[in-house]
Amino acid sequence: MAKEKLPALAKRSLFDENQVLRQILGICSALAVTNLMTNSLVMGLGVTFATALSTFTLSLMRNLIPQRVRMLVQTLVIAAYVILVDLALRAFVPEISKALGPYVGLIITNCIVMGRAEAYAQKNPPIPALLDGLFSGLGYTLVILAVAFIRELLGFGTVFNYRVMPESFEPWTIMIMPPAAFFIIGSMIWFLNARKLRREAEKGGK
Amino acid sequence: MKKSYLYTIVFMFIISALFTLVLASANTALEERFNENALLAEEAALLEVFGLSTEGSQADLEARFAASIEAAQRGETEYFRLLEGGQVEAIALPFVGSGLWGTIRGWLAVDVESPEEAADGLSIRGIVFTEQNETPGLGGRIEEQWFKEQFRGLVYQPGQSLDYGPNLGAEIDAITGATQTSNAILRIINRVLAEELLEYEEVK
Repeated sequence: MAKEKLPALAKRSLFDENQVLRQILGICSALAVTNLMTNSLVMGLGVTFATALSTFTLSLMRNLIPQRVRMLVQTLVIAAYVILVDLALRAFVPEISKALGPYVGLIITNCIVMGRAEAYAQKNPPIPALLDGLFSGLGYTLVILAVAFIRELLGFGTVFNYRVMPESFEPWTIMIMPPAAFFIIGSMIWFLNARKLRREAEKGGK
Repeated sequence: MKKSYLYTIVFMFIISALFTLVLASANTALEERFNENALLAEEAALLEVFGLSTEGSQADLEARFAASIEAAQRGETEYFRLLEGGQVEAIALPFVGSGLWGTIRGWLAVDVESPEEAADGLSIRGIVFTEQNETPGLGGRIEEQWFKEQFRGLVYQPGQSLDYGPNLGAEIDAITGATQTSNAILRIINRVLAEELLEYEEVK
């Protein structure tokens, strides 16, 4: 892979190849934790931390890892960082840790982390791998925050637990349930694909 | 990049040992904080169930807890007494039962009264939930104040059971959209009132 400049790498990881909306990865947790913005933010940062550091570590060891056990090593490294995140949350923000429940532990199986380790960290030096992981995680965070914004606003009438809707606002129960995230993410993907198709059509027409 | 079996095995050993070491040390380093958090959460839950304030700093909570609440033991079960002037004012007993998605745990506090007062019935002092996995925003709302507060001050005669709607001279509302969870809570409370409560010496 050719050496990529930082802005290009950031743009690619955040938007062009956004893990949730373009690669359709990490959907399980995106459906589960996006009913409150605080939970989404913590979850997003957890994923970002785990992705960035695991791709960095795996890239450092990339020439030492025997091919036939590379997935074992990837899972081991990822699990170690995720457990660190879980321990830190339990120790310092027990309330949020309780609210996120099993989903922090499930970052281990989040396809984004494994995907970056397998697709990028294997073949690239540590610093680009770290940045790739960082921006892929941030791309995930952006999307789940956007979904959580819509769900929390309509489902609870709040944003980051601050009430913004008038008292008379009737919360939409559906927004709190996982299917709401399904609809919202689905609509986002639809919108992005439609835009991409239109652009391609315009280019083709000229 | 063909590597020998021996290399693979040694590599896995080293890497596993390394990461296990890191995680084990992190866990040990933070263990004290975990225990502290768990203890503080339990103290806050007990203060709340007895109707005491849970406002203020961590030290305030601990002082308030130490001043009026003591632990007691019945068989294997640990429960708590609220003391006032050396008299047992109320007891809080732990409960556990199944909700819609998982186990629900919490504390139920009941006033301890003189025999004459007790003839009118036992009064429920409060209820809190310390562990639940109900649907957030629906069944999860059992942790909201309005739901828990409805149980405070209900007077109950042995043999009676609680229900939603008007009963025991009060009105208890279920949670809209969370019928299963609401019913599970009633089932748990009624079971505790009918089967476990009278086993405690303070309210016999």
